Amino acid sequence: MNGLINFLKGKWLGHPLHPVLVHVPAALWPGALVFDLLSRGHIGGNAMVRLSFCAIAVGLAVALLAVPTGLVDWSGIKKEKPAWKIGLYHLALNLVVALLFAVNLGLRVATFRDATEVLPIPTLLSAIGTLLLMISGYLGGLMVYDHGISVARQSKKKWRKVAEAGGANVPPEKEK
Amino acid sequence: MLKDILEGKPFRHPLHPLLVHFPVGLFFLSLLLDLASFAFPNVPGWVRGAYYSMLIGIITALIAAIPGFVDFSDIRKDHPAKRIATAHMVLNLIMVAVYGVDLGLRSSVLDAVKTPLPPLILSLIGIGLLSVSGYLGGRLVYDDGIAVGRHRRRTDTPEETLRFSTGDFQEGAIGETIFVPIAAPDKIRDRETLRVEIDGQIIVVAKFEGGFFAVQEFCTHRFGPLSEGVVKDGNIECPWHRSCFELRTGKVAKGPAKVDLKTFPVEIRDGKICIAVPRSTK
Repeated sequence: MNGLINFLKGKWLGHPLHPVLVHVPAALWPGALVFDLLSRGHIGGNAMVRLSFCAIAVGLAVALLAVPTGLVDWSGIKKEKPAWKIGLYHLALNLVVALLFAVNLGLRVATFRDATEVLPIPTLLSAIGTLLLMISGYLGGLMVYDHGISVARQSKKKWRKVAEAGGANVPPEKEK
Repeated sequence: MLKDILEGKPFRHPLHPLLVHFPVGLFFLSLLLDLASFAFPNVPGWVRGAYYSMLIGIITALIAAIPGFVDFSDIRKDHPAKRIATAHMVLNLIMVAVYGVDLGLRSSVLDAVKTPLPPLILSLIGIGLLSVSGYLGGRLVYDDGIAVGRHRRRTDTPEETLRFSTGDFQEGAIGETIFVPIAAPDKIRDRETLRVEIDGQIIVVAKFEGGFFAVQEFCTHRFGPLSEGVVKDGNIECPWHRSCFELRTGKVAKGPAKVDLKTFPVEIRDGKICIAVPRSTK
């Protein structure tokens, strides 16, 4: 169990996994909106409609992979920290976004093979999904850049050595 | 002002790591579609889709480069992460050039059933470069805390570490306190800091309401760089996890840190900020 958690936290990679994986949905869902709009602007034809479909599908697949990695990162935050609540909103919003794009994908299944433009309702869903994704992605970013979640988690030992070499007071080393 | 915006300070979030999601995701998708064109050659549109995805990837990569350069230039010259950041930048420039050639090769074969080999190989090289450089970019954030909490500091940060040795002073016995002149008092403005190394001891000198204070550079939580932290209310706050220390005493004012900082007496002597350290054995 601990091994699995460490795997999901990206210990083996020397880099947290969640922020790596989320690049894919975070790029491809707004990308799908752009492709939808281009198709409606008569650019790209059926290839653009298919591209948008693929972007949503690949985004969904990788988003699902990112869920457990996000959960383990979140579970490492103490509940009384402000970042815990941000993480909760981030989590809830992401579920809504993923659900919206799943519905969005479902609406396209019957038509994407032949259509030359994406219909208004799927386009609208892409737009709403993208907007919510931007909010949720921003919250995720705040956790890292404003609250330092996962920062120096894996490099603590390296920095302790640097601090010791620099003559600093350091706390006693903990077990583990 | 423009620099602050490009560093994302008003948004409490750097812009570069936000923008890079697009090229990372879109170049990945582009390669997947190339591979799909081999797996499912009867399905139309793969090659064209890969082209559009790559095109938007290149455009967003170029946009992301702008705040990236600003972030790079803001890393202290002697920071150990500067070399990683340089590698990250060089790899990214090569990668975008590779994708530029890749896109050019594709533009004439958009109706092909399968992606031709030369652009496919370039895409594989591109993804390889992107993976390495993206990994390095992530290490910059998660290992070295680059851009973490940076938005809270609104004054300039030290461009480099000022290095001194007590061995340069002839008078005095080993172990005796010696005041090392660091800089003229007007070298920093209020709430700014200097990063100083004396005989290997790394110290941050902060100016607050006209007074000068010297404490150890490293936070006692995860050893974040206090010279890049915020000076306020007589305290210095670590950029990474907001541990706060009294400048005068080094005492923890707010956690997560639990251990107090080392402090060093500071005096203005002969028009210079001087820090008291024991004369080393050198």
